Amino acid sequence: MKGLFSYLQAIWARRHFWLSLVRCDIRARYRGSLLGIAWSMLQPIAMTTILCGVFSTIFHTAIADFAPYLMAGLTYWQFITTTSLLGCHCFFTSECYIRQHPAPMAIYPLRTMLGSAFHFLIGYVLVIGLSLAFHGVGFISVAGLLSLIPTFVLLAAFGWALAIIFGLATVRFRDLKHLSEVGFQALFYLTPIMYGPDQVQSLLERRTVGWMFTLNPFVPILNLIRDPVVAGLPPALSSYLAGTLLTLTTVVVAGLALRSQERKIIFNL
Amino acid sequence: MARIELNSIGLTFRVRRHFRMGLKEFLLGQMFRRSRNPMLDVHALSGVNLRVERGDRVGVIGHNGAGKSTLLKLLAGVYQPTHGTMAVEGKVSSLFDLALGFETDASGWENIAYRSYLQGETPRTVKAKRDAIAEFTGLGDFLNTPVRYYSAGMLVRLAFSIATAIDPEILLVDEVLSVGDLAFQEKARQRMHDMMDRAHLMVMVSHDLEALAKICNRAIWMDHGRMIQEGPIEQIVAAYRASAMTVKAA
Repeated sequence: MKGLFSYLQAIWARRHFWLSLVRCDIRARYRGSLLGIAWSMLQPIAMTTILCGVFSTIFHTAIADFAPYLMAGLTYWQFITTTSLLGCHCFFTSECYIRQHPAPMAIYPLRTMLGSAFHFLIGYVLVIGLSLAFHGVGFISVAGLLSLIPTFVLLAAFGWALAIIFGLATVRFRDLKHLSEVGFQALFYLTPIMYGPDQVQSLLERRTVGWMFTLNPFVPILNLIRDPVVAGLPPALSSYLAGTLLTLTTVVVAGLALRSQERKIIFNL
Repeated sequence: MARIELNSIGLTFRVRRHFRMGLKEFLLGQMFRRSRNPMLDVHALSGVNLRVERGDRVGVIGHNGAGKSTLLKLLAGVYQPTHGTMAVEGKVSSLFDLALGFETDASGWENIAYRSYLQGETPRTVKAKRDAIAEFTGLGDFLNTPVRYYSAGMLVRLAFSIATAIDPEILLVDEVLSVGDLAFQEKARQRMHDMMDRAHLMVMVSHDLEALAKICNRAIWMDHGRMIQEGPIEQIVAAYRASAMTVKAA
């Protein structure tokens, strides 16, 4: 416990370092302009527009409910995949720092996660805007908005742990990123992002695929993120319980893996 | 109080014999067949005992691959020992792998900040010494351009200026006496000497025995990861020279 505390303290002591690197990444990504930010949001917006067009034409889905639901899911999914896939290389891209100066290894996956988190937040603000545009300004309750604070904390911890796990695994197996890309592509269809609530219900009842949706580790936090913009209300307590349990498990796995590998990473870069 | 103490330090790491392994090779080659790419134990350091007190200037000599730079990285905390105990007390500044560690898309100014933060500085202390660092690099307007457009020499100048802008208690140096062009070399040498004067203790790796003899008072001789001799600099340098001569004669 004492070791953990001093480790976190060491991370905090280096905050100027990793925060300025995150700022550098953000600046490089958006080129310091509003247009840059808009450009980077094109992907979820275009995806949402296309899918909404398709679904409302074929399945006659009501756009007002479906658009915020879909875009929240897509934004979340983009955070998960970029954090994990960029996380794969987090130790390799930081090799120059690792070889020069001792610092807690967890700061490099943290940099990756914070970069994607910034992007996620911009996307989520758009989602809130979309939801309010369709349902009226008072749609999302204050409790619903406040519920996002613990949700974002969970999401950040979950993302950090994912980046650590993928980073360590890639140090061990070089070709992991490639496989992960395929894996996430498959997982996308096993995560209720494109499927509306009714379709999810019918999928869950099918014996062949239902269990995959139930066991999918990316679902609990997705629900926490989507409920406020879809229903305007804070998520159920049971959703928080599931999300917290999942995050804790992932964080513990990442922490244990990091503890055993922290000193060995440098020899495998 | 600056102090270094190593007690029977060993550093062993495992690497693959041929290439780094992917999941594909692991699944194909490890689970179903006997490995064609076995693990290899590298004993980079073994049984190293060393005490360095305030005022000591220690030169490290030995052949290539003797473990000199590994020892330095261990003292810097970049490597952790796998055996033995060590204590390094004091603010460490290390001068090695100088050209590494830049964000290539960021400007020289920004990299000054990043690198200083990594060394433990804060925005306030960086602000105070930024201009002095910039001045010393002599890069002028180039500091506004991304580092990716710098030449190798310019990178080293920038790195050297940042790394030497702190007042360390423990100074670790690995063969950086020849930095940049002629004019900068002279400036760099002067600054190195200033730093060495101010540092409480210093450990320096070099193949330049003349320079070591001038700067250091003690020396250690490394061979195959072991410390084979330790003592006053003249004595060790003489012994090392003699051994190199016998190898040549034989």
